[in-house]
Amino acid sequence: MSERPVVEPGQRVIFAMGGGGFTMEPNNPLLDVFILTLSPRPTPRILFLPTAAGDPNAQINAFHERFADRACVPTSLSLFRLGGMTRSLAEIVAEQDIVYTGGGSMRNLLAIWRAHHLDAILVDAWQRGTVLAGLSAGAMCWFSGGISRSSGAPEVIAGLGLLPGSLTVHADGEPDRLPVWLEAIRAGELPGGWAADDGVGLSFRGERLERVVSSRPGASALRVDAVDGELVRARVTPELLGAESTSLLAPDEDVRELRRVHRFRQGGGGYR
Amino acid sequence: MRTRTPQIVALGGGGFSMEKENTLLDDYVLSLTRTRHPRVCFLPTASGDADHYIVRFYRRFSTPCEASHVSLFRRDQGTGIEEDLESHLLSRDLIYVGGGNLVSMLGTWRAHGLDEILHRAWRSGVVLCGPSAGSLCWFAEALSAFHGSPRAVPGLGLLPYSNCVHYDAEPQRREEYHSLVGEGMREGYAADDGVGLHFRGTRLARVISSRPGGQAYHVQATAEGIRETPLDVRYLGTRNAPARPRLHEPVADTRRARIAAA
Repeated sequence: MSERPVVEPGQRVIFAMGGGGFTMEPNNPLLDVFILTLSPRPTPRILFLPTAAGDPNAQINAFHERFADRACVPTSLSLFRLGGMTRSLAEIVAEQDIVYTGGGSMRNLLAIWRAHHLDAILVDAWQRGTVLAGLSAGAMCWFSGGISRSSGAPEVIAGLGLLPGSLTVHADGEPDRLPVWLEAIRAGELPGGWAADDGVGLSFRGERLERVVSSRPGASALRVDAVDGELVRARVTPELLGAESTSLLAPDEDVRELRRVHRFRQGGGGYR
Repeated sequence: MRTRTPQIVALGGGGFSMEKENTLLDDYVLSLTRTRHPRVCFLPTASGDADHYIVRFYRRFSTPCEASHVSLFRRDQGTGIEEDLESHLLSRDLIYVGGGNLVSMLGTWRAHGLDEILHRAWRSGVVLCGPSAGSLCWFAEALSAFHGSPRAVPGLGLLPYSNCVHYDAEPQRREEYHSLVGEGMREGYAADDGVGLHFRGTRLARVISSRPGGQAYHVQATAEGIRETPLDVRYLGTRNAPARPRLHEPVADTRRARIAAA
């Protein structure tokens, strides 16, 4: 196939989820359906990369289940399964309209991509108009940095830097990442950025945050910047996907806090 | 401080993941630990920490060993081991590396500093072993045929040779290996499935096999072309057990003839 032309930097699309999609929301397709709309093509080719979790069959099966009957051409790519591949990674990625990256260990994700030179291939695809989407590790990787639990305790980790800000994920589901992230921004270790709850997706066109969407009422995102050593926070309320009217109101702050405490007590229950 | 000789047993294929009913190779590597209750740690990184592989490891090793495994994909759910990888690995008698994808495994290891830890473990006398990617990783260069054309991948370099695995099972491997060695890959060792190359220090001390007829070769480039020298292989089973036909002599002959013709 012929090489696609490079698109304007302001038109390149990244969709970063704090958590959600088929691996975390088996009964809620809203975010995954939204991802398909990010490609201008009526039946986009969508490639799943389960690298961060070690390419488990369960994730691959869940991906195909979620996308099999929708207007798209789903494929997945394993960097662990031996044999049988006759085409190069560059060829496979170059024909995709959307690359969907799963969650797991961000440290492993980036190390494995680099070992196969897949990081450069993905950046090239993004520059040629392929939508980069993902959750958790597969969302933070596109930013300049994030907070990972790849080595155990939450810690700062550098990403590929396609987006200049930082991202932390599972802001509600795994609240122990949040203080590490805030301190890193305050100390200047990470640039200002976003904290996204499970179920929240940030849609960027170029470096501009175009839309914030959610699959769950009550989930939200937080913008944080360091100004003169002080943290400045701004809560972002997402558009609730699938809500045709504005009748679905978000629960108030007390209810949300109670839910967060409840999730925390249950040991997070979120995805890494 | 114990003074033990560094040892590596590089398997062309075989062991608990590939030989369900045949424990000869695993028994052999355990015997090198010279202890009744060896501490054995499994590294399933090359498979992406596949659950079924980890289960098979415990099935084979939980008796009579103190068996453990390290998951580099789930360090956040650590059992304690993952919090201090170095102490855990350096206090083992045997580290068993599973098969899978070599490039993904080495990338992951380096990201967690495991390359250096394994180097230290080897020097301190922890026996290192594994099939397939678990063999290739110890050498300076490895033939990897994962995607696209086969190529030389740099390994950890504990053994200053090249390595090729599944030599009998995947017929194109031999041609590819010869061609890479002809193009400048360093000399090295090729092993069939079921065959183990046992190195003491960096010297090949013994070649063993779980299957009658299993073969291994030394391969090097010479002025006259590629020279493939069959190695003496010790079959670990009993000779009078029902065995597959011993094909290796005629096969080796054919191979030598083909090399001469080429």
